[in-house]
Amino acid sequence: MAYIQAQDVVVEFPIYDLAQSSLKRAVLRAATGGKIARDSANRVVVRALDGISFEIREGDRVGLIGDNGAGKTSLLRTLSGIYEPLEGRLETRGRIVTLLDFSFGIDPESTGYDNILLRGIMAGLHPREIRSKIEEIAEFTELGDYLQMPVRTYSTGMQLRLAFAASTSVEADILLMDEWLSVGDEAFSEKASRRLHDLVHRSSILVMASHSLKLIEAVCNRVFRLERGRIVEQSAIRPEQRPAEHAPDYLMALARRGF
Amino acid sequence: MSDAPQRVYTGSAASRALSHAVEDVAAGVAAIHVWGLLGWHDIRRRYRRSVLGPFWLTISTAVMVTAMGFLYSKILNQDLSSYLPFLAIGLVVWQMLAAMINDSCDVFGLAEHMIKQIRLPLTTHVCRILWRNVIIFAHNAVIIVGVALFYSKLSIIGMLMAFVGFACVILNCLWASLVLGVLCARFRDIPPTMANFVQVAFFLTPILWHPELLGERIALAYGNPFYHLIEAIRGPIMGTDTYINSLAVVFLMLLVGFPLTLLFFSRYRARVPYWL
Repeated sequence: MAYIQAQDVVVEFPIYDLAQSSLKRAVLRAATGGKIARDSANRVVVRALDGISFEIREGDRVGLIGDNGAGKTSLLRTLSGIYEPLEGRLETRGRIVTLLDFSFGIDPESTGYDNILLRGIMAGLHPREIRSKIEEIAEFTELGDYLQMPVRTYSTGMQLRLAFAASTSVEADILLMDEWLSVGDEAFSEKASRRLHDLVHRSSILVMASHSLKLIEAVCNRVFRLERGRIVEQSAIRPEQRPAEHAPDYLMALARRGF
Repeated sequence: MSDAPQRVYTGSAASRALSHAVEDVAAGVAAIHVWGLLGWHDIRRRYRRSVLGPFWLTISTAVMVTAMGFLYSKILNQDLSSYLPFLAIGLVVWQMLAAMINDSCDVFGLAEHMIKQIRLPLTTHVCRILWRNVIIFAHNAVIIVGVALFYSKLSIIGMLMAFVGFACVILNCLWASLVLGVLCARFRDIPPTMANFVQVAFFLTPILWHPELLGERIALAYGNPFYHLIEAIRGPIMGTDTYINSLAVVFLMLLVGFPLTLLFFSRYRARVPYWL
């Protein structure tokens, strides 16, 4: 059973590279971003998550919404175990896969196949698992013999296809996503949308950050609204709020319009 | 799908538990398929489209050893047949140590993107740079084999002991790199300091010159940890009478270094992603 529970989770970033005295007044007035404070050692810190509590159960699709700097990505990174909370308690059960920046770690000098392997390793897969998926990934990208060429010879669209296919060939209990991933050209983006939709459906829990409430209403059943590192509102999305159109098509249309 | 792994975090005090540090090191070292692949990838990347690849290093080291061997054996009035292997082994081991020290200074900085995308034990990144340098060492080891064959005092036991020494040296590098990596992630003035330190240490360590040349000040060599790290590999191959002392010192460094590192690492491990 996949499960996430957070109680009063606090995440703070120490800021070392700024002159502290001049910083103090300037940033305390800032309206967006995490709360800026001082810790017990009188260092300037940014409080990215400020006492966050929630419970996410099997089957939940949670959308995180909020301004830039509200703490969406910090929360995703905390859930994935990258940032360990400074205070509070966080419990997660299930295999976590994080899709924050799906084109990260693509090495232009390596071949397409090598990049699939590298991406898989970085996504926490064992080489055995990757080799069993490599044919499927290769087929999905439609790149054919290009996969034996260095990625620097690819067009931007081809690179995106490769990165997308490699990073979505994972199996997760808990899927953490920063925005709905979408790729390039018309024909491929439909395929991509369907693939991502399937991945989300196979996962027991989805937590997705987005700027678009429309997108979240289409994919999720719960919304957390974040403001300056706090969850200011938790609400459920009723089924009748959901768009009637078939989801992957609707998501693709949304992606085309830039959400 | 794997059986559901469970993780519980309960604030920074619990994050500092020694068990997390031990787990990080154990899981990091065990993730051979990750650091093995990434380390190889680094090498392939560096020497892509080069015909000789890492053997370029072997060649440049061989040229350097030959040239310096002839020059310094004369300057220092040493017998060439014993000075050449002494210099060759010392230099090859030193190059590995120096590269490992320099690489550990930005091990987490260079892996920042990865560290912020996926959760991996920090030790995995350290193992990657160690492995990368062991691969380079293996290419340079051709020179060691060459001079060892040319130098006739080689024994089977010496060879075995050299491997024991090598293993101890690498394990020492593991703890030292972890400490350096964490310190350098937090204090950005350490990497340039270390670069300078490594350069000076090269001249202060008996690599170009034999420790016996120190005469009554031989303690200057014996008090230098780099001397023992090199001698633990060089000594057994050269068949010196005292290499067992260096092996003992290197082993002792492990016994002292690892527990202290784990204490240090448990305190700061969870903070590293915040510092990047």
